[in-house]
Amino acid sequence: MKSPLLTTQNLEIGYINGKPARVVISSALDLNLYPGEFVCLVGPNGAGKSTLLRTLTGLLPLLNGEVLVGGKKLKEFSRKELASAISVVLTTPIEVGAMTVNELVAMGRFPFTGLFDRMLENDWDVVKKSLEMVGLMGFEERMVHKLSDGERQKVMIARALAQESRILVLDEPTAYLDLPGRVSVMNLLHELSRQHGKTVLTSTHDLDLAMRSADRFWLMSSDGKIISGAPEDLILSGDFEQVFARDRISFDIMNGQFAVAGSNEGAVCLKGEGKVRVWTERALQRVGFSVRKDSEQCLGLRVAIVPGDSGFVWTVEENHLSLEFEDLESLVSHFRTTSPVR
Amino acid sequence: MKADTNQQLKATRTGIFILLSVLLLVVVALNLTLGSVRIPLRDILKVLFGQEGVKDSWIFIIQDYRLPKIVTAILAGMALSASGLQMQTMFRNPLADPFILGINSGASLGVAIAIMGAGLAGGLFIPALNIAGDLGLIAAASLGAGVVMGLILLVGRRVNNPTTLLILGLMFGHATSALVSLLIYFSAPEKVKAYSIWSYGAFNGVTWDQLQVLLPVILLALGILAFLPKGLNALLLGEDYAKTMGLNVSRLRMLVLIGASILSGAITAFCGPIGFIGVAVPHIARNLLKTSNHKLLIPAVILIGAIVAVAADLIAQMPGSQFVLPINVVTSLFGAPFVLWIVLKRKRRATSFSV
Repeated sequence: MKSPLLTTQNLEIGYINGKPARVVISSALDLNLYPGEFVCLVGPNGAGKSTLLRTLTGLLPLLNGEVLVGGKKLKEFSRKELASAISVVLTTPIEVGAMTVNELVAMGRFPFTGLFDRMLENDWDVVKKSLEMVGLMGFEERMVHKLSDGERQKVMIARALAQESRILVLDEPTAYLDLPGRVSVMNLLHELSRQHGKTVLTSTHDLDLAMRSADRFWLMSSDGKIISGAPEDLILSGDFEQVFARDRISFDIMNGQFAVAGSNEGAVCLKGEGKVRVWTERALQRVGFSVRKDSEQCLGLRVAIVPGDSGFVWTVEENHLSLEFEDLESLVSHFRTTSPVR
Repeated sequence: MKADTNQQLKATRTGIFILLSVLLLVVVALNLTLGSVRIPLRDILKVLFGQEGVKDSWIFIIQDYRLPKIVTAILAGMALSASGLQMQTMFRNPLADPFILGINSGASLGVAIAIMGAGLAGGLFIPALNIAGDLGLIAAASLGAGVVMGLILLVGRRVNNPTTLLILGLMFGHATSALVSLLIYFSAPEKVKAYSIWSYGAFNGVTWDQLQVLLPVILLALGILAFLPKGLNALLLGEDYAKTMGLNVSRLRMLVLIGASILSGAITAFCGPIGFIGVAVPHIARNLLKTSNHKLLIPAVILIGAIVAVAADLIAQMPGSQFVLPINVVTSLFGAPFVLWIVLKRKRRATSFSV
């Protein structure tokens, strides 16, 4: 295995100024970030994800231990060296108005331009390349405040890329975005690590998206402990569910999703195949049923998906009665208004 | 196509700068020609080019009254606007300016202590008597401005709400005014009078001798600003982003603190407290140039600031009448509605720096 690009040794993070004087959020952290991998830092709100990321990027002083970047201690980096080793994208939307995309991305050249910020041809090449990497060619002269939130966050990522650092650290870059924006940004981060060899570390609450794209999770629990591993390993070991466990929320290991433990209405045997079956299952689960495969042993409630004249028809057999429904809405409302036999 | 729009934008901006320069010349020319004493244009030109044959009193009016007053107005406009721009970026607040944040009051306190406090201590300190006195006055005002600004920085840096910062400034202003009142209460009448004349605010009390002190001080502080566009631009993204790009934020903050304090302090020392130029001009510049880039904003703000100050002085003289209004009356009459407009128009703070 390649040697890690970023390492923490016995790291302790938290705040120094405040009351009480020292708030330790997490300690004895030994983490590794390897070149070219895409790591998602996940955990419940308030676990200290931002504190960790701010410490790793030098925005917060560490309380104890070491952070090593390329084998060199973080505190031994000059401002400029650090800026060309780690670039950062933050949660909060920027509050800048009258600025073009080009101008904003060009700010990423800050560590390399002189006192008067003169951009050389090479600098503009990097800006152009960065915009290409995030897929925003043709946006150069657009005003930043007129972009969508997702586009603006991509511009911020392009600005970070223009710093030409090996490590890219992002603190919940998708927090303020709509769903397509989230998918698009997470996908971009995945691509940056795959196609451009960037080492990407991001915190996120989009667990589903993260599970599908991250090489590794840093799973942070509310007590500040971090377990590292492939998303699938963490799910199979049960660590994932334990960290996110709440009173009435449980993680369904079969479909990889969180579900509200609602009222249990009992089991339904469902007959049918394909995408109609998947979404029928979802609809039935929503009203509190657990869904089983249809079989000879099935007692009680049975639902079948039957091809109809236009689309599908759902038949329900209960109490020796047979009912027919045109769509899932009427099927679901039937179960919600009648008390089915168990 | 892209290059074209870029070229167009550049051409438009060049055009704006040329237009502004012409406008400055126009207001300066108007200010020279209009006044309570009517002097024909031909004679004004004669005086300017050192030719003979003009009434002595007219020569005096132009050389020792109107010219120094115009130079002072230009310096004041440049200084107040430039310090307003720096402060708006540093506080990330569209309403920040030396007057609104009470920094002028700090300068006033400095001056009050210099004029009246020195008397209390038994010394005889009459301001504006000599170069040492002038420098002392500037130092006192800048120090007062710096102290208030430092305090606001300490307290207000975590304040995200523009209105809260405004209230903070108001409170600091009240506190310093109270201290000034206290000084007035314990001071000899002639010193109180000297202070109150100063506090009306005017461009016309500054002599050529004093300008020899004021001019280099202002140019020096503007010189500091010439090195700051890169850092100020980075600060537009917020302190955290600026840090991760390698900006030494505390050093920049210190430079802005020193520069803006000297700019507003020195002007307050000689012209009295002048409001609203500092808050309004940066907004005019952003709207005209459609940019937040300080490389363009700084020269624009300096130019527009000079125009606004000279124009305000022009209005203050109420051409054709014998009255001269205090300059603060004019800037407040035009400036206060402008600030209201900024507050009401920008509902979302996110776009407060936009056009």
